[in-house]
Amino acid sequence: MSTTAAKAPDDRDRTRPTGSASRAGDGKDRGAPPRRRDRLSTQNLAGWLYSTPFLSLFLTFMAFPVVATLVMSFTDFGLRNVTDPFSAEFIGLDNYTRLVEDEKFVRALLNTGLFVVLGVPLTIGCGLVAAVLLNSGIDRMRTFFRVGFYAPVVTAIVAVAVIWRFVLDPAEGLIAGLAGQLGLKSPDFLASETLALPSLVVMAVWRNMGTAMVLFLAGLQAIPTEVREAARIDGAGVLQEFRGITVPLLRPTMLYVAVMTTIGFLNVFEEPFVMTDGGPSDSTLTISLHMYRQGFDFFHMGYASAMAYVLFVIVLAVTLLQLRLLKDKTR
Amino acid sequence: MTRTAKSVSIAVTVATALALTSCGGSGGDQTPADAKQTLTIWAMGEEATRLRTIADEYTKENPDITVKVTPVGWDVVHQKLVSAAAAGTLPDMAQMGSTMMGEFIELGTLEPVDTKAFDKNDFFPATWNGNVVDGEAYGVPWYADARALYYRSDLAEKAGVDGAPATWKDLRALAGAYKNKAGATWGMDLQPGSTGAWQAWVPFLYSAGGELLGKDGKPALDSPEAVKALTEFGHYFDAGLSKKNFVVGYDVLKDFSSGRVPMFQSGPWMVQNFAEQQPQLNGKWKVTPVPADASSTSWVGGSSLVTFKDSEHKAAAQEFTKFLTNPRSQARWYEISKTLPANKAAWNEPALKAGGESLAVFRKSLDTAREIPPMAKWNEFSVMIEDALEKVARGADPAETAKKLQKSTESLVG
Repeated sequence: MSTTAAKAPDDRDRTRPTGSASRAGDGKDRGAPPRRRDRLSTQNLAGWLYSTPFLSLFLTFMAFPVVATLVMSFTDFGLRNVTDPFSAEFIGLDNYTRLVEDEKFVRALLNTGLFVVLGVPLTIGCGLVAAVLLNSGIDRMRTFFRVGFYAPVVTAIVAVAVIWRFVLDPAEGLIAGLAGQLGLKSPDFLASETLALPSLVVMAVWRNMGTAMVLFLAGLQAIPTEVREAARIDGAGVLQEFRGITVPLLRPTMLYVAVMTTIGFLNVFEEPFVMTDGGPSDSTLTISLHMYRQGFDFFHMGYASAMAYVLFVIVLAVTLLQLRLLKDKTR
Repeated sequence: MTRTAKSVSIAVTVATALALTSCGGSGGDQTPADAKQTLTIWAMGEEATRLRTIADEYTKENPDITVKVTPVGWDVVHQKLVSAAAAGTLPDMAQMGSTMMGEFIELGTLEPVDTKAFDKNDFFPATWNGNVVDGEAYGVPWYADARALYYRSDLAEKAGVDGAPATWKDLRALAGAYKNKAGATWGMDLQPGSTGAWQAWVPFLYSAGGELLGKDGKPALDSPEAVKALTEFGHYFDAGLSKKNFVVGYDVLKDFSSGRVPMFQSGPWMVQNFAEQQPQLNGKWKVTPVPADASSTSWVGGSSLVTFKDSEHKAAAQEFTKFLTNPRSQARWYEISKTLPANKAAWNEPALKAGGESLAVFRKSLDTAREIPPMAKWNEFSVMIEDALEKVARGADPAETAKKLQKSTESLVG
């Protein structure tokens, strides 16, 4: 049991370049200071040369924009500065204080919060149920269902938007048609201030559960059958097995899925962008969408950058919280 | 040479070099119009393919100037132009949408129009004025999209209404008749908020005698006329004549053809869309100038031709612009693209004289229509209007909304 539990987090770390492996390396160096000078010695030259493509790409396309955005968030960078970037004036924390007074930003913050609170548990729940069913319940057509559930993840958002507009259309949509059969009247989902956001949450869950499902499937297949057998011999029922064996052993996968899904939902942009444009009455305006508009429609680059950093801090805080709450306490 | 002197001289040299390289494009190396050269022009959407046809015709007459047309999608053109301005990689010329004009004038990337080469009186006043900031014109009008009212004449007859709606009162009556007597779900299509909703409201504002910007250059959105226009706009939603709900990507054509929404305002391209997409509607619809309150005043969109400051082919660009905006080419352009000539004289060409009833309506609208004043922050300005419209459509008090709108737009102008 312990071997499998240890295996999964390793997989996780490998996918994250800034994971514990690199931190461990730093720790070692601190223990042996003289080795530090060797880093730039001729023996290491080859290594540095090999890393150059990555480093140059990283510095140009990741590090530089990150730093530039941070600097920009303290300036009044606007349309005029596009042709003359260095004439932007430093205005200190003005952008950040303005954010607090921006009604739309507060609204966007609340909407994004709703997206996360509704969307993340649903995505994880649906993904987990689908994975458990596919892992044990359904034998035939397993590949068909796997592909089916994963297809929305890889489908272009434009195609998804067309399908969902049809599903939600109040006059001739899928739901309206079904409701009509039952003698009910379908509401106009996307045009209603109360229903638009939940509709988009459902759509986002549908789009994202495939990823969660695939990850959970991998996690489930790593649970050794011996453990399950032992549980069954001890008389565990289906639910008990699920609660006592499946969920605890899936914890590392669960952590990864929870963190990635939450980050995804905090950054939610495409669904409101293609479906509602933030409306009606800003009821589906999210932080990312508000940021996009401020930055690229109005060219308030400084202001949008400040928003980006606020979002970054929120993502960081939520992720750290999750890592703390969901970490493997058995070790 | 002392050390300070040395560094000063280096600084001066570097500064001069920088200054020279940055101005090199705009000042020094102008290619004369008769030299062999390639002129690059960005054009949007369908216009790009069509412009290629007419550009080839131009090159046949002027073999020295090869025109390279780069197609850019309407949805990305704004960002592409701004990025190109930032990177200094703008083309020689571009087609510029009327509402984008203010922003690019503000960016300082446009070459002012030589008024000796182009006469403003050749063009419809609204098309020319939309390109003018502080008395200087920055673009030559190419084609003009005035807005007018499309309505189902067959359903109007069924509802017992004769003739086109000429006034706001007629419009209300017709919308009511459609809904109550002709079985339509809605009387008229008015977009209640979201991107582009201002287009439906500005005809009301202009017809009431209001303006977006007052004489002092400040917003005039809380004027009595603006309140009146907002009230009229709101009435259609209060009375259940227009749909309060709007979904992004809504295509009115489908509902118009089924008779659910038998009336909407739009531009001249719809004439073509009807012919291509809804041929069965032929003879069942009509177009008429926007209904009048104080006057029947529509607004003009469309595109102008601009030359960028950094171009090295300004002389050739001017020649090509002259070619595209002369009456003969404008008429030819109408034949190719069915967009309306901005040059008044072009309307005397045979192609336009034979244009029929719909075209005459747009001709009439163009004379009285007004421009959207060029504003650097038009995008933001229009979003403010759209937010206000959404509130009014959902029942907010027009006068109060107008007051708030005025306040929120004041910082965006000037």
